[in-house]
Amino acid sequence: MGEMEQLRKEAESLKDQITAARKAVQDTTLQEAAAGITVVGRVQLKTRKTLRGHLAKIYAMHWAVDANLCVSASQDGKLIVWDTITTNKVNAIPLKSSWVMTCAYAPSGNLVACGGLDNMCSIYNLKGKDGNVKVMRELAAHTGYLSCCRFLSDSEIITSSGDCTCVLWDIETGTQKTVFAGHQGDCMSLAVSPDFKFFISGACDFTAKLWDIREGVCRQTFGGHESDINAIGFFPNGNAVITGSDDATCKLYDLRADQELITYQDSSIMCGVTSLAPSLSGRLILAGYDDFNVNIWDSLKSERVGVLAGHDNRVSCIGVSADGMACCTGSWDSFLKIWN
Amino acid sequence: MSSKPHGSNNIAHARRMVQQLRIEASIERTKVSKASADLMNYCSEHARNDPLLMGIPASDNPFKDKKPCTIL
Repeated sequence: MGEMEQLRKEAESLKDQITAARKAVQDTTLQEAAAGITVVGRVQLKTRKTLRGHLAKIYAMHWAVDANLCVSASQDGKLIVWDTITTNKVNAIPLKSSWVMTCAYAPSGNLVACGGLDNMCSIYNLKGKDGNVKVMRELAAHTGYLSCCRFLSDSEIITSSGDCTCVLWDIETGTQKTVFAGHQGDCMSLAVSPDFKFFISGACDFTAKLWDIREGVCRQTFGGHESDINAIGFFPNGNAVITGSDDATCKLYDLRADQELITYQDSSIMCGVTSLAPSLSGRLILAGYDDFNVNIWDSLKSERVGVLAGHDNRVSCIGVSADGMACCTGSWDSFLKIWN
Repeated sequence: MSSKPHGSNNIAHARRMVQQLRIEASIERTKVSKASADLMNYCSEHARNDPLLMGIPASDNPFKDKKPCTIL
């Protein structure tokens, strides 16, 4: 038997082993386990603030850890840092490339990052000595668009790219520390675990992967979606992953059981999921869709318990503030809205 | 989807795939009953501190405008 044939057989055998091992721990389903819990009552959130100022589609937003500030990125070529209580623009940063697809706020509050079709991740220092916000570093090495970025600290950031890889960067030196390769399609989104030891990525190969940041390896791969995964997030305890896909569903995968536990879908929803965020306790999942709405799901019962309708175009990004007090949505209609 | 070159790269790719599958096959798995219970417990323990779930009284809501309405 040639080596290629041997490898193919071993791969098939290993895949069967994984399927069997997952089935072996399937002593119940989350649906059954949660049968005794009542569905959450109707969740009705109101728009409390509308952040006006971008002149084109908003592609991304990210809350600061200091809950009242957030950063947004628009293809009008600007990053805006907002005080969400006063709706004032704290910073309006002009970008070299207007084709921005992602932005991130560092946990320290000192830095923001963005990137897109320029294939680079640009880091900006908000707290420079002379008060001007300047580019601090341009992280260039990806051979495809930058779809997402998330800071681990002021010195490290993780990026995901249309070149099918994710990268851990040393911001100081501007170099790649680790390349996470394995996805067979564009990486669209990433999220860092609460303990900063792992991150998850969702891609156009319809899978989500869990990566060990320090070891540089993929520990687990989750399938089941029938189209691109556009959005991904951790359940707040770090033990489960939530994905949102062009197949119009969201799924929850448990990391320790190594399998999908539940799918959030409704026959009336036929458009893709663009973004998602869990509430502070994890009981609610807020997901943005191509049909201009946000659907709020009871994460344990898989029932829709609320809708946020208010945007006049696709909801492209969503985030829940660090203290859980508010949800922010960003849209192709150029506005951000704060809801609670 | 990226296209793969033919020849020896195929073997290298296949080796990497098998190597990766070995890693993924070897992990310990927890029973779904335990995983589900832990998720449910986390939700119930943190529910009362989840403002979007519990609702926020107007007086505690920093995003709610506090000015009374004036009818002109």
